[in-house]
Amino acid sequence: MFRRLGTVPTTLLKVVGLSILDAVVVYFLVLLAWDRSWFLVGIIAAGLFGLNVLAFVRRLYPVRYLAPGLVFLILMVVLPLVYTVYISFTNYATGNILSKDQVVAILTSRFYLPPDAPTFTFRPYGRETIYALYLTGPAGEFVVFPDGRLALAAEHDLRDTDGDGVADLLDGYPLLPARELARFASDLQKLEIPFGDGVLRLTTLSTMRVYSRQYHYDPVQDVLVDVRTGKEYRPYGGNFVAADGEKLDPGWVTFVGFANYLKFLRDPLYHRAFVRVFGWTVTWAVLTVVLSFALGLGLAILLNDKTLRLRKLYRSLLIVPYAIPAFISILIWRGFFNTEVGLFNRVLSQFFGVRVPWLSTPFWARFSCILTNVWLTYPYMMLVSLGALQSIPEEMYEAAKVDGATGWRRFVHITFPLLLISVAPLLIGSFAFTFNNFTLIWLLTRGEPVVEIGSRAGATDILLSYAYKLAFMGGRGSEYNMTAALAVIIFIIVALISGISFSRTKALEEVSRGL
Amino acid sequence: MAFRRKPLRFWVGRFLRNLLAWVAIAFALFPAAFVLGTSFDPVQNLRTARIIPQTPTLENYLYLFRERQEINFPRWLLNTVYVAGVTATFGVFLCALGAYAFSRFRFRGRRAGLLTILLVQMFPQTVGMVAIYLILQTLGKQIPWLGLNTHPGLILVYLGGAIGFNTWFMKGYFDTIPRSLEESAMVDGASPFQAFLRIVLPVARPILAVVFVIQFITVYSEYLLASLILKGMDKYTLAVGLQLFIGEAYNRRWGSFAAAAVIGAALILLIFYALQSQIISGLTGGAVKE
Repeated sequence: MFRRLGTVPTTLLKVVGLSILDAVVVYFLVLLAWDRSWFLVGIIAAGLFGLNVLAFVRRLYPVRYLAPGLVFLILMVVLPLVYTVYISFTNYATGNILSKDQVVAILTSRFYLPPDAPTFTFRPYGRETIYALYLTGPAGEFVVFPDGRLALAAEHDLRDTDGDGVADLLDGYPLLPARELARFASDLQKLEIPFGDGVLRLTTLSTMRVYSRQYHYDPVQDVLVDVRTGKEYRPYGGNFVAADGEKLDPGWVTFVGFANYLKFLRDPLYHRAFVRVFGWTVTWAVLTVVLSFALGLGLAILLNDKTLRLRKLYRSLLIVPYAIPAFISILIWRGFFNTEVGLFNRVLSQFFGVRVPWLSTPFWARFSCILTNVWLTYPYMMLVSLGALQSIPEEMYEAAKVDGATGWRRFVHITFPLLLISVAPLLIGSFAFTFNNFTLIWLLTRGEPVVEIGSRAGATDILLSYAYKLAFMGGRGSEYNMTAALAVIIFIIVALISGISFSRTKALEEVSRGL
Repeated sequence: MAFRRKPLRFWVGRFLRNLLAWVAIAFALFPAAFVLGTSFDPVQNLRTARIIPQTPTLENYLYLFRERQEINFPRWLLNTVYVAGVTATFGVFLCALGAYAFSRFRFRGRRAGLLTILLVQMFPQTVGMVAIYLILQTLGKQIPWLGLNTHPGLILVYLGGAIGFNTWFMKGYFDTIPRSLEESAMVDGASPFQAFLRIVLPVARPILAVVFVIQFITVYSEYLLASLILKGMDKYTLAVGLQLFIGEAYNRRWGSFAAAAVIGAALILLIFYALQSQIISGLTGGAVKE
């Protein structure tokens, strides 16, 4: 079957093409390595290596077909999965997103002004723009350039042409009048010139002083010392922390074990939020599936009646909610639920004189979520049930009729059990989908109304929308670590649901047979 | 057979059944009907908008294609169709390649590969949103056109999510295509890849169309990842843009929103009803036999 592969011209073409590609990618890799982006270098190098292996190892021929899709699956499904698990065991959140080296670099480049700091007075030289500053002080005489270079004054040409004791030419550039200086003040303020162990900074428009490093880092002891006070800070949980508990920001990313998960158990605020959100997520998924299945099945039975003349038309009309993009329907329903201007309250107040707070009290907001989702989901249930009903053999009913079973008994004892067998996996699938139906919750209620001050989780938040809020809803910063931990919990729940689905149905057997 | 009078019960039953069906249809259609009606009403407040406008105009529709500041509807629609179209096109090809390998070749790890894909696919991609966000952020620092707030970046994410299930779905179809077709081609000197391109793909056109359309509709309606990745008026997809446009403004933007909703839904409705039976059998996991 594969014998015709690798004739001389195609092989030659392959080698030439691949060499060119390799050359280009390697060039790109060198550029990336220059930038020290090892993450990308690793990924691209591995990809290139894989490509070359695939091209020449005949045994891997089938993988050539799988690889293109697998790349995307791995990059955007598997990698996020692994990365999420990793983050869930770290403290990755606002304030802890750098590496330790970066944090040390930031802290040790913070400066302060000691009382005995050397002071220099300076004069600017230049035409139109500043050429250089000439500094004099107890520590010596220097020339500083606007780009931050520092040089000994002795190395430059200073001349006092009018003999008033003040040099008026520096390397041929005249002294700038003091009033000119104001124009450059903002640029001068940004100057930081390394000087000894500290930096020279502008203090007034005629003086510069030497600032000292506030922190000294000892890599051997792994301790950070505040030079002013002598206070020692040691690494603890991703921050430098003093003995009295004072914590320095920023911190770095570090492993924290199960701390994030335990926070959902032990921290009262998070614990209450988690329990509430979890309870609602399950309730919501169960009620949606049960109610929409009941409605869908009812309609399916109605449409399955062969004497109904317009059943084809009815079916087409009844699946309209399924055919409209969900985000559009949800935004429409949100409008209908609006307390002030919404359609429902318009009708209710007109005929009954009542207004319902559809989206603003926990009960009604939950009610609205379920109502909307039943409307969105029942067509699916109807279609599924219709298919299942039609696959139940007529003989079953004939036999029941002979035995004298009535319509209701026939339904309870024959139709429903048979139907459930074929529909159960789809119901479980629907449950799992609803469990994570972020779009509906977010577009309809945003998880609101608020039920507890200080907690991000609202009355209609499901696990996924709560996770989203933890990561991306400003306020107290991004708790990526908590989101990741919640995501892993969702993974586990989904895996359990799928596991039940597989063991309770014959799906896996069918799958195995299909392999 | 002579006409026999049916008992009264029969007629009552028939009437009730039809009545029930129409009640359900009313429940199914009233939101769409209301939106369609009010989209022709120049009144922008939902409170007073009428399903049968007193002075019907096309003003709301014209506004959508005129306005650029508050709503950039044409741009959003184009963005959505672009992202969905590219994702579906590449997705179909990638899935077909994989499905062909799983269907036709026997190799070590084939079974494990199929099961792994099925397993991985169970975890909704949206749950990994933080990781996806950070990966795109990292990617964007090196390759700016593939990072956050770019359409190629979003497409990349969607392509990852599109592979698994559809590969399975297509494999099932490929299994039903007789091998004799390709074998005769290969006897004539075609490589397996040529046989795939010239024989299998054309024969599998119906399933390719279904997978294309399902992916197109899925991406068209996706909200979470799009809203996370796209920031900026000119980058939004319809789902993100419309949500921001209507926000809490049901009392002053309803008319234009309704018009946007009608156009946005019409496109998908057209596709859906044109390919109704195939799409439904695809979406319901083959549970519905036409």
